Amino acid sequence: MEDAASVTRPGATAEERADRKQLSVQFKAQHALVLAFFILIFIFHALAIYLFCSGFILSRLVLTDRSQCAVPPVELQHGYVPGSHEKGCWHPKSFDKVVVILVDALRYDFTVPFRPQPGDETPHQFHNALPILYETSVQSPENAFLLPFIADPPTTTLQRLKGLTTGTLPTLLDAGSNFAGTAIDEDNLIEQLYNAGKKVVHLGDDTWHSLFPGYFEPNLTRSYDSFNVWDLHTVDNGVNEHLFPLLEPSMSERWDVIIGHYLGVDHAGHRYGPDHPAMTAKLKQMDEVFRRIIAALDDSTLLIVMGDHGMDVKGDHGGESDDEVQAALWMYSKRGIFGRSDPGYVEPPAHAKIRPVGQIDLVPTLALLLGMPIPFNNLGRPIEEAFIGKGGNDYKNLAEVSRLTSNQIHGYQAEYAKARKIDPSTTSPTVKLWHTASMEWQRARSWATYSKAWKTSYDSFTAYQTENLRICKDLWARFDLNSMSMGIIALIGTFLVIILYAQSVQGDRAALTPALLSWGVAGTITGALSGAALGSLLSFSQIQLSAFAAVMGGICATLAGFWPVRATLRVPYPTTFWGGLCTLSTLLLCVGFAANSFTIWEDEQLLFLLTTFGVVMLGSSLGQPDETDRNFGSLNAISFLAATRLSSLSRLCREEQMPNCRSTYYASATSSTSAGWQTLIPFIVALLLPTAIRYIYVRSKNYQGSAVIWIGIALRLGLVMTAVYWVLNAADDGDWYPQVSKETLSSTRIIIAQMVLAVAFAAGYGTYIWAAPLLLVRTEEAPAPTTSTSKPLDSSDPNAPVLTTINEPPKPRSKLIILGYANTQGTRYFLLPCVWILALLLVQKPMGQGALALCMISILNLLELIDANNLRRSPLGPIVLALLGSYYFFKTGHQAALATIQWDSAFIPLKTIRYPWSPILVILNTFGAHILCAIAVPAISMWKVPPKLPGLLGRVAGAVATHLLFYAAIAVATVVEAAWLRRHLMLYRVFMPRMLLAVVVLLLVEFITAVIAIGGVRWSMVSVAGVFGYPES
Amino acid sequence: MSSSMANAKPAAATAPNEKPVEILQNQASQFYANLHPVLLLSILLVSFRRLVQDSVSTLLGLAPTIAIVQAIYCVLCLPSTGQPAASTPKPGQKKKAAKPAQDVWAKAVPAFLSLVLTLTLSAPTLYIIVILFGGPLTTHQPHTLLLALHLALLTTPQLYYTHGLDTQIWLKIASLQLPIDELFGMTLGACLGSWIGAIPIPLDWDREWQKWPVTIVTGLYIGAVVGKLAGGYVFKGAKIKIS
Repeated sequence: MEDAASVTRPGATAEERADRKQLSVQFKAQHALVLAFFILIFIFHALAIYLFCSGFILSRLVLTDRSQCAVPPVELQHGYVPGSHEKGCWHPKSFDKVVVILVDALRYDFTVPFRPQPGDETPHQFHNALPILYETSVQSPENAFLLPFIADPPTTTLQRLKGLTTGTLPTLLDAGSNFAGTAIDEDNLIEQLYNAGKKVVHLGDDTWHSLFPGYFEPNLTRSYDSFNVWDLHTVDNGVNEHLFPLLEPSMSERWDVIIGHYLGVDHAGHRYGPDHPAMTAKLKQMDEVFRRIIAALDDSTLLIVMGDHGMDVKGDHGGESDDEVQAALWMYSKRGIFGRSDPGYVEPPAHAKIRPVGQIDLVPTLALLLGMPIPFNNLGRPIEEAFIGKGGNDYKNLAEVSRLTSNQIHGYQAEYAKARKIDPSTTSPTVKLWHTASMEWQRARSWATYSKAWKTSYDSFTAYQTENLRICKDLWARFDLNSMSMGIIALIGTFLVIILYAQSVQGDRAALTPALLSWGVAGTITGALSGAALGSLLSFSQIQLSAFAAVMGGICATLAGFWPVRATLRVPYPTTFWGGLCTLSTLLLCVGFAANSFTIWEDEQLLFLLTTFGVVMLGSSLGQPDETDRNFGSLNAISFLAATRLSSLSRLCREEQMPNCRSTYYASATSSTSAGWQTLIPFIVALLLPTAIRYIYVRSKNYQGSAVIWIGIALRLGLVMTAVYWVLNAADDGDWYPQVSKETLSSTRIIIAQMVLAVAFAAGYGTYIWAAPLLLVRTEEAPAPTTSTSKPLDSSDPNAPVLTTINEPPKPRSKLIILGYANTQGTRYFLLPCVWILALLLVQKPMGQGALALCMISILNLLELIDANNLRRSPLGPIVLALLGSYYFFKTGHQAALATIQWDSAFIPLKTIRYPWSPILVILNTFGAHILCAIAVPAISMWKVPPKLPGLLGRVAGAVATHLLFYAAIAVATVVEAAWLRRHLMLYRVFMPRMLLAVVVLLLVEFITAVIAIGGVRWSMVSVAGVFGYPES
Repeated sequence: MSSSMANAKPAAATAPNEKPVEILQNQASQFYANLHPVLLLSILLVSFRRLVQDSVSTLLGLAPTIAIVQAIYCVLCLPSTGQPAASTPKPGQKKKAAKPAQDVWAKAVPAFLSLVLTLTLSAPTLYIIVILFGGPLTTHQPHTLLLALHLALLTTPQLYYTHGLDTQIWLKIASLQLPIDELFGMTLGACLGSWIGAIPIPLDWDREWQKWPVTIVTGLYIGAVVGKLAGGYVFKGAKIKIS
C-alpha cells in the first residue's frame, strides 16, 4: 500500500521559493494554452457544423410580396368587381366576423367517439370526453363539419401558427426558434385583416405576439406565458374570463376577429400524458366552453375550433409521427351554409386517415369566407365543405374559389422561380396540369348551367394544386450540396487533428500544445481573411466561404504544427487489445447509424457494448498477478456490470421501438409523471451515493478535510433536499394533500430547488477551488539511534587538537506520515464531478436520478479498474466514459427524438421562463450524463498517480482528446450518413434527429471538457503542487 | 493494489499446464476430432428450420445430443485432468495397451463430471452473463435458459475435462491468458460467435429467424466450429496479449 508515505521536507530556502514560483507560473501558462487549444478545436467543429447545417437544414426563400384586395390573381368572372372589403375582395364573402378557437394539441381522436378495434378494446381517458364537435356535425350538417386536420411537421406551436396564417410549409431552420419566436415577415391572414381595418383580438398563448407584434387590439387582448407546462389552468381560465364578455351583443362592435388559444390540453398532455384523468377533465371543460360559445354566437359570425398539432402517446409533440400530425378542425355557423359532396360524408371520418385536409387549407378557406385576399405565399386549397353549399352540389362556386386559389398559387410559383432562379424543368409536371385546368374552366364556362362540367373543372384545379404542393415539398427538401461537402471536409479535417493529438503524440502533449495553438490560430485568421476577400470577388456566399477558409486554414496550419515533431509521431492505429476493442466499438456504432434499426435501438447496443467492456475488464482483472488488484478489480468490474444492467431497466421507448419495448421512466407508457414508488429513488440515492463515494475515498485514505465536508455533509444534505423536492412535486401532481394549496406547494419546492443549486454551485465550487489536497499529515515520534559526535575538549578553542568521543543522549526525531499520498491528485480532482452530480441529479426525474447515480458509481468503478489493470494511458478509460455518457443519456429518459426533450425541467427552480437560465436547465437535464462523464475524464489520468508525476497535464489533455475522438467520430459518421440518406423515408424521423444529437453533443462535450474539466484541473493541480511542489521537467 | 507495486511482485508464481493441449494420438481420436465440427454443424443445419419455428422444444431436444457429442469428444480425444498431457509417442515406440474397460471408466467418470459441472456451474453463470448483455429479463426465460445451456455445453465441458477445477488455470481462462489450442479456441470462438450473432437482432427485416435466440445459437455453433479449427490449426500455442 502506498496510501501513506513518509517524507521529510526541508525548509524552503529563498532560492527554492523563487524556483517554485517560476514553475507555478510556467504551469499556469501551459494550462491556459492547453485550454485555449481545446477551445480552438471547438471553434473548428462549430464552423464545420455551421457549414454542414446551413446546407442540410432546409431553408425556404421568404417572398415579401403581398396580395392586394383590389388586384385579384386572375380576371374575375361574372362581372364581379374586386376591391371591396365590405362585399369581399375577390369573391363574395360569407361572414363578417369569426371566432377562432385554437386548442393546442387537440388530436383528432379526442373529438370522435371511440370505436373498439382489435388490440384497443376499451376507451382511454381521452376518448368521448369532447362530444360536442361530433354531435353538431352529425345532427346539423349544414351548420357544422368536423375533419381531420393534418399538420406539416415540425409539430411545434410556433411552426404551426406560421403555417396556419401564411399557408406555407415550414422549413426546419425555424424548428430551433421555438423558445424565442420572431415576427413573421411574409404575407399572412392576420396582417391582411389588420390592414383591412378589422379589429383582431387575441386571448391566450403569447407566441402569437412574437409572431404578429402590434396587430392585435391592445385594450382587449390578453396574452399568457406559453411554456409553463406545469400549469394547466391559468391560460384557459384567463381566456374564458375575457372571451365570454366579448361575445355579449353589447360588445359586438368592438371586434371582428377573436383568436382564443387554449393551452390546457397541451399542458395536460406534457405533464400527465393523454391517458390520464386530468386529460378527461380538461376535455370536458373544453366541451363546456364550446357549448357556451355556440349559445352566445350570432348569425353572421363563424366559429372555428382547431388543434395546431396532436400529441404522441406520452403527450409530447414536435416530430412527424401520425399521432403528432393528426389534429382536428371544426367549423360552425348558425346560418347553415356548409354542405357535403356525398351524403355519406355527413358523419365525420372515423379516423384521421379518411378525408383529411391540410392545415394550410385553412388559409384560403378563411380568407375567402371573410372576403379577404388569399395571402401571397399560400399553398393550401379551399376546403370543399365550406363552399359546396347546403345542397352539396354548388360546384360552380367551388370551381370559382378553386380557380382563384390556383391562380394565386400559380402567381406565387412564378415569383418564387424568378427569385430563386429555379430550373423550369422541376416544375414542368404542373404546367400540363395547369393547361388542363384552364381548358376545363373554359369548357365549364361555356356549359355554364351544367353542374358536371363545373365539377370536372374543380377536380382539375384540385389536381393542379395537389401536384404543385407535392413539388413544393420536394423543392424545399433541396439540399445545398456545396455547403454540406464543405462541412463534411472540415469535420473530417478536425477529426484528423484530434486523432493525431490524442493518439499519435508520444512525448509531452502539453509541451507541444503552444506551437500547435499558435499555428492553428494564425491559420484560422489567415484563412478567414482570405476567404472573405475571395468571397467578395466570386459570386459565392461570403460568410460560408470565409468560414470554410478559416476552418481549413486552421486545420492545415495545426497539422503543419506537428511537422517539427514528426519523427516522434506514430500512426494512430490500435496496437493493443484494448485499443482495438475501443476502435471496434466506435466503428460498429458509426456504421450502425447508417441503418434506421440500429439508430432506433441505440440504447440496447450501448448496453451490449458496455457489458462487453465490463466482462472483458472482469476477465482481465482476474488475470492480475497481485491479489489485491485481482480482488478489488473484479469487485469493481462486477459492480460496473451490475450498475449498467440495473440502470437499463430505466427506459423511455421511442415510438419506433414499439411494441418491443416497455417504458418504465414514468408511471405508465402514456404518462409523463413519475409513479409514487419512484419518489423513493432519490432517497435511496441520497443514502447510498455519498456512501459509495466515501468508501472509495476512505480506501485510499483521502477522506480528509474538504472531502468530509462535501461528500459527507453537503452532498448528502443536498441530495436529501432534492428528494424532498421530488416528493413535493409528486404530491402536487397527484393531489395528495388537497388541503394544502397548489401555490404553497409549488413555491416551497422552487425554493428548495434554488437552495440545492446554491449549495452545488456556490458552496460546491467554493469547496472545490479552495480545498487543500485531501491529506492527513501526522507527525510520529521515531526513536533515533544514539549518535556519536565529536566535540573538541576545550570548548573555548575550536581548534583545540585533542578530541574525544562522547555519547550524546538520543534526540527525539519526528517523522511526517502523509495519509492519502497515493491518490492525492485523483481524489482532489474528483471533488469536481462530486460537485456537479448534485446539480445534475436535481434536474432529473426520480427514475433518471437513480440512473445517473448508477452512472457515477460506474465511473468510480471504471477509475479503480483502470488502476487495477494499469490502463491509465490506454484509450479504454476515455472511450468507456464516452459510451457511458451516451448510454445514460437514454437511461435518463431521453431518445434521439425532439419529442423526448423534457421541457418541464426548465421550471424546476423557476416559475417562469428566464433567459439564459431556462435553456441551461433543459441542457443540464438532457445532457446530464454526457456532462458528468466529460467532467470525469481528467480523473482517469490523475487517479492514483504520484503527486509529482511529470507531464501529467499532457496526459490529461491526451485523455480528453481521446474522449472527444469518440464524439467526433460519431458526428462525422451521422453527418455523412444523413447527407447520404437525404432522400430516405426515415430522414426526418430517424437520421436527422440522430445527426442533430451528435453535433449538439459534440459541441457541448467539447465546451464542457475545455472549460469545466480542463479548467477545473488547474485548481486541483495547483493545490496539490502547493504541498508537494511542481514536478521538474 | 497500486500498479507500481505490480513490478515488485513476482510474475505468476507457478505456471501449471501452460502448454496447449494436444489431441490424443490414436486413430479414433484423430477421426472423431475431425468429425466433431462436422457433427456440430450438421446438427445445426438439420434442425435450423425447427429451431426457427419452435426454439424452446428444439433447443431442449438438442441438448442431450450435444452433451453426448461433447462427452464423446472429451473421452475419445482429450487427455483428462491429472493425466499427463498426451505424451507424444516417440516414433517406433508402441503404445501401452491399457485395459480397455478400465480405461473407459477412467475417462467416462471425468466426462460425466464435466457435464455435471457444465450444467450446474457454467450454465447459470452464462445465464447471468446473457442477461447482463441485455437478454430479456421478464419474458422468454425458457429461451434464455436454453441458450445459456447450449453456450455452456459448447464452451466448457472440454475445459473441465482437461483442466479440472484448478483455480490458476481458470483465472487464466477468464483473463484469456491460456495459450490457444483446439479447446480454448472453441470456447473463444463460441463466445465471439454468439456476440456477433446478437448483431442482426434489431434489424427491421421482419424475418422469422431474427427472433430470440435463433441468431445467437447460430452464431454460437458456427463460432465454436470456426474457433476450434482456427485454434487447432492456425493460432495453436498463441497467446492473447490483453494488456
